[in-house]
Amino acid sequence: MAQILVVDDSSTVRNEVCDFLKKNGLTVIEAVDGKDGLVKLKGDPSVKLVVSDVNMPNMDGLTMVEKIRSELGNSTVNIIMLTTESSPSMKDRGKAAGIKGWIVKPFKGDAVLGSFKKLVGL
Amino acid sequence: MSDDTQLVSKVLVLDGNESYFDRIKIFCDNNNLVGVRALEANVLAVLKSNVDLGAILLSEDYGGKAHGGVALARQINRARPELPIFLRREQAANLDGLSEKDRKIFCVAYTIDSIADLRKVLDEYIFSLVYPNVMVRGIKEITQSALEGLFKDANIETEAPYIVRDRIIYGEVFSLIPLESNWCRGYMMLQSGGADILRIAQSGTQQAKLTSADFRSINHVLGEATNLIWGAFKNRYFSDDDRSGIFKTQVPIIINHQHRYISFGSENPQLCFKYTLSDKQDSTKNPAIIFQRFVFNLNWSPEDFKEVQASLEELVDSGELELF
Repeated sequence: MAQILVVDDSSTVRNEVCDFLKKNGLTVIEAVDGKDGLVKLKGDPSVKLVVSDVNMPNMDGLTMVEKIRSELGNSTVNIIMLTTESSPSMKDRGKAAGIKGWIVKPFKGDAVLGSFKKLVGL
Repeated sequence: MSDDTQLVSKVLVLDGNESYFDRIKIFCDNNNLVGVRALEANVLAVLKSNVDLGAILLSEDYGGKAHGGVALARQINRARPELPIFLRREQAANLDGLSEKDRKIFCVAYTIDSIADLRKVLDEYIFSLVYPNVMVRGIKEITQSALEGLFKDANIETEAPYIVRDRIIYGEVFSLIPLESNWCRGYMMLQSGGADILRIAQSGTQQAKLTSADFRSINHVLGEATNLIWGAFKNRYFSDDDRSGIFKTQVPIIINHQHRYISFGSENPQLCFKYTLSDKQDSTKNPAIIFQRFVFNLNWSPEDFKEVQASLEELVDSGELELF
């Protein structure tokens, strides 16, 4: 049972984001790429928020988002991209798939904690 | 061009006539060259190490022998064929009298009185690619910011960026990532000594602090630094239009582990930056060095370079959530 799924191929980023969220009382699970993210989300329906990178091996973050909506049929989970990318076309693709927001790395936890809590219903 | 973005190149000065050093130094100072010298006995060892050279200024009588410089040039050419060699002769600024084979080793000959004429060949052999100042300055800002974010307890200093022709790999670990747009195609490399990065990442409370001290952790830290810089570079210099319709040619990248040598199939000089990370808490620890190289081997059209104005104006600060 977790509130947030963090998907990033960089263990440096996963450690940083997960450590911050756990310190602030949130429960977290991790995935190493888009494929793994789909498996983890399918296995834990309690997840309320997915925080995902875009550029990852095996399956990129935007493809994962589209598959969450189509293949998993999950239209309710909140999704935020955490990435170095900021191209309008990528954001448009994310918006079309129903993501809630976009964060350009580096991650600054204090700036987004309030929003994350709202998105998991706290 | 501001001083901190003035591109320079290091040249190895191997000249047997000490009385000419002042004139050679003036020439270097006037032409964005940094002259470095080496003891005769150490020349080949220096060439095998990473000193980021752009060229070699060699005198024909080096080592006190009439053609000692030519003999040394043959050895240099075998060890580092990518480095242009400029031969200083006493009498005439030409390669007359040398064998056909030896002539091919040298780019040009000069005399001390005609050294100013080398200016023309510097543009051909060293400064042959034009790097826009705004891009050079931007790379430095982007990288400094990424490294400061990852290594919060490290002081980070950046030397003046420079141009290199050598292909020697520095350190034990390096990353390589493609840069693809309509105005440039190539790669960015970060090269570092693994042990140094590990030491810096293990100290203090920085974001990149390693949970385990094995090489995989070092790979992840350098990988994330690469990712942050790559993303910021694309956001700043590649518009959506720049990324469309890219013709996907590729050439083999050759890595020779024995000689710590990497070739991108192009003789183009590379844009290089050097960052020094030192521990804020303990200045006695050895610093970590990161070399950053840009190799635009597949396409370089600086005339089409531009910063992405729309992105700059609409940019949401990094780390902040842009809600849709």
